[in-house]
Amino acid sequence: MNTKRILLVCIGFILVFFSALKASADSVNITASVNSVCGNGILENGEQCDGTAFGGASCVSQGFSGGTLSCAASCTFNTSQCTSAPPPSGGGGGGGGGGYVAPVTSAIFNGRAYPKSTVTLLKDAQIAATTIAGADANFQISVSGLSGGNYIFSVYSEDSKGNRSSLLTFPVSVTSGATTKVSGIFIAPTITVDKSEVKRGDDIAIFGQSVPNSEITISVNSDEEFFNKIKADAGGVYLYNFDTSPLEIAQHFTKSKTALNGEISSFSKTISFAVGTKNVAKVTQEFLKGDLNNDGRVNLVDFSIVAYWYKRPSPPASADLNGDGKTDLVDFSIMAFYWTG
Amino acid sequence: MTKSQKSKIAIPLIIFMLFFAIPVFAAEIYFDTKTQEIKVNQLFEVVIFINTDEESINAVEGKIVFPEKLLKLKEIRDGNSIINFWIERPRAKNGEILFSGIIPGGYMDKKGLIFSIIFQAIQEGRGSIEIRDIKALLNDGKGTKADTTISNSQFAISGQEPASRPAVFEKKDIDMPETFEPTVASDPAIFDGKYFLVFATQDKASGIDFYEAKESRQGLFSIFKSWMPVESPFVLNDQELRSFIFVKAIDKAGNERIAVVEPRYPIKWYYEAWWIWIIIILAIIFTLIFIKRNLWNKIIH
Repeated sequence: MNTKRILLVCIGFILVFFSALKASADSVNITASVNSVCGNGILENGEQCDGTAFGGASCVSQGFSGGTLSCAASCTFNTSQCTSAPPPSGGGGGGGGGGYVAPVTSAIFNGRAYPKSTVTLLKDAQIAATTIAGADANFQISVSGLSGGNYIFSVYSEDSKGNRSSLLTFPVSVTSGATTKVSGIFIAPTITVDKSEVKRGDDIAIFGQSVPNSEITISVNSDEEFFNKIKADAGGVYLYNFDTSPLEIAQHFTKSKTALNGEISSFSKTISFAVGTKNVAKVTQEFLKGDLNNDGRVNLVDFSIVAYWYKRPSPPASADLNGDGKTDLVDFSIMAFYWTG
Repeated sequence: MTKSQKSKIAIPLIIFMLFFAIPVFAAEIYFDTKTQEIKVNQLFEVVIFINTDEESINAVEGKIVFPEKLLKLKEIRDGNSIINFWIERPRAKNGEILFSGIIPGGYMDKKGLIFSIIFQAIQEGRGSIEIRDIKALLNDGKGTKADTTISNSQFAISGQEPASRPAVFEKKDIDMPETFEPTVASDPAIFDGKYFLVFATQDKASGIDFYEAKESRQGLFSIFKSWMPVESPFVLNDQELRSFIFVKAIDKAGNERIAVVEPRYPIKWYYEAWWIWIIIILAIIFTLIFIKRNLWNKIIH
C-alpha cells in the first residue's frame, strides 16, 4: 500500500514536471520565433510593431482609452503615451470611496508637417514618440510619464521620398502634475536638388515637400541671394526650376521655408550644389553624417562611439567627422547637428 | 584743441558710432549671482547658465575654477541641465570642474541651466568663482566656434553661520529616474568590434547619480546575480547575446529605475538550464530506486 502511494507520487511528480517543462518550452518558442528583421518597417511574425507599422493596433486596442501608441526599438508596443480614462469618483450609497489618483505630468504637441508623413518627437534627444500626420499635414503627439523640470524637445518629419527635415528644437519647462501644451509647431520643408553639379545656364530642379497649398520661399545663396516663391500642390509637393545663368561658377547653397495663413516655418536644411561646366546627377542615397554604425540614424550609439575616441590619439576616420586628425568638441557639434535620435 | 573743437569732433563721432556700430552677438556663460556675502560653514549654490543670444548652440565645454582654501565642494547638480549628453560629466579635481556636453538640435534661449554647484564656505576671506576656457559651438553642421563672454562670481566670507540655521538646499525627490531603453550595439571602431551596451536617462529633480548593471542567462535566477557599477558604453560579458541585461539608474535621492534588455538569442531551456537537468536526473533516480525495491519485494515474496 505504502509502495503504491510512493509510486503514484513519483508518477505524479514526473507528470507535473514534464507538463511544466512543456509550458516552459512553449513560452520559449514565442521568443524563439522572432526571426524577423526588427527595424525594417515591415510587420513580421513575432513583432508587435515595426517602425510605423502597427498592424491596426492602437492605444484603445491595448486597453487604454486614448493617446499615442508608439513602437519601441525592440519592435514591441510602447504604451507609455497611452492614456486611461480617469476612474469613476468614489462615494455613493454603499460607502466605497475613490482612491487618490496621482496627477499625470504630460505634454501635447500640435503642429504642421507634411501630408501623411511620419513625425518623430525627441525628448532630451531620444525618441519619445512617433505619429503620422493627417492629409492636411497637421499632427498631434502626446508624451506622458514626465517629471516637472526643463526638457529639450525636438521634432522632425520625413517626406514621401524619405527625405528628413531639419530638427526643430525647443526648450519646454514642464510643470509637475499638469499637461503642457505646445502648439504652432511648423516643421521646415524638406529640400533636395536633382544635380550635384549643374552646367552654368542650365536649370537645376529644387524640390521637396511641405504643407499643402502653402507658399514656399526658395533662397539660393551666392554672392547675391536670390529669392523665389512658388506654391506647393495639394500634396504639399513643390518644384522650382532655377535658372543658373546669373550664378558664378562656384559652390552654391539653397534652402526653403514655408508660409501659410501668416505662420512661417524656419528655414530647411541647406543643400549645396556646384555650378560648373557639366551636369552631374545627384546621388539619391546620401551618406548621413554622424551615422557611424550606418543604421540610418544618428543617436546615442554613434555618440558613444565618438565619445570613446574623445581626446584619444589616432581616431578612426569615422570618429573624426571634420577630418582634422582628432576627436574633439567640433566632431560632437557636427554630430549634434545631424542628430535623429 | 579748444573745448568747442573737441565737441565738434566728438559729437559726430558718437552719432556715427551709434548709427553704424555693428552689434556684436556673443553667447554669455554666467553665474546666477555676481556677488554674494556668505558666512563660514554656510552652504550656498552657484548656478551656471548660458545665454545664447540669438544663436543656436549645440556643444559647450569649459571649466569652473574655485579657491579650495575658502570653499569646499559639496555637490554638483546636473538633473535639470539643458545638456542632453555629457562628454565629460562635471567633476571636481584640484579646485577645477571640467565639463563638456552636447545639445542635439541646438539650444537658443536666454537662461539655459548648464549645472549648479553646492559649496560650503570653510574660512573667512574674499575670492571668486571663475569660468575659464569656454568654448561654445554653433549648431551649423560645421562646429563653428561662437563668440563667448563670461561673467564670474565674487564672494566674501565673514562671520560664523548660526548652528540652528537649516541647510536650504535639500530638494525632495520622490520620483524615479525616467524610463529608458538601453541598446546593444557593436562597431569595429571600438572595443575590437565586441558588443556593448549604451544607455542614458534623466532625473529632473536630483539628477542621475550612477548606473549599475548585471547580465544573466536565467531571467528568473538573475536575482542571485550582484549588480556591478557601470558607465555607458560598457562591453557585454555575454558576447553571444543570450543573456538578459538589467540596467539600474539610481538618482541622487536613491530612487531607482530598472530597464531590461531581453536576450537577442534566447537560450533553449534544455541547453543551459542546469537546474532542470538536476530535477530530471533526481526524478529518474527516485523512480529507478522505487522500481528496483518494488520488483525485489515481489521476487522475494
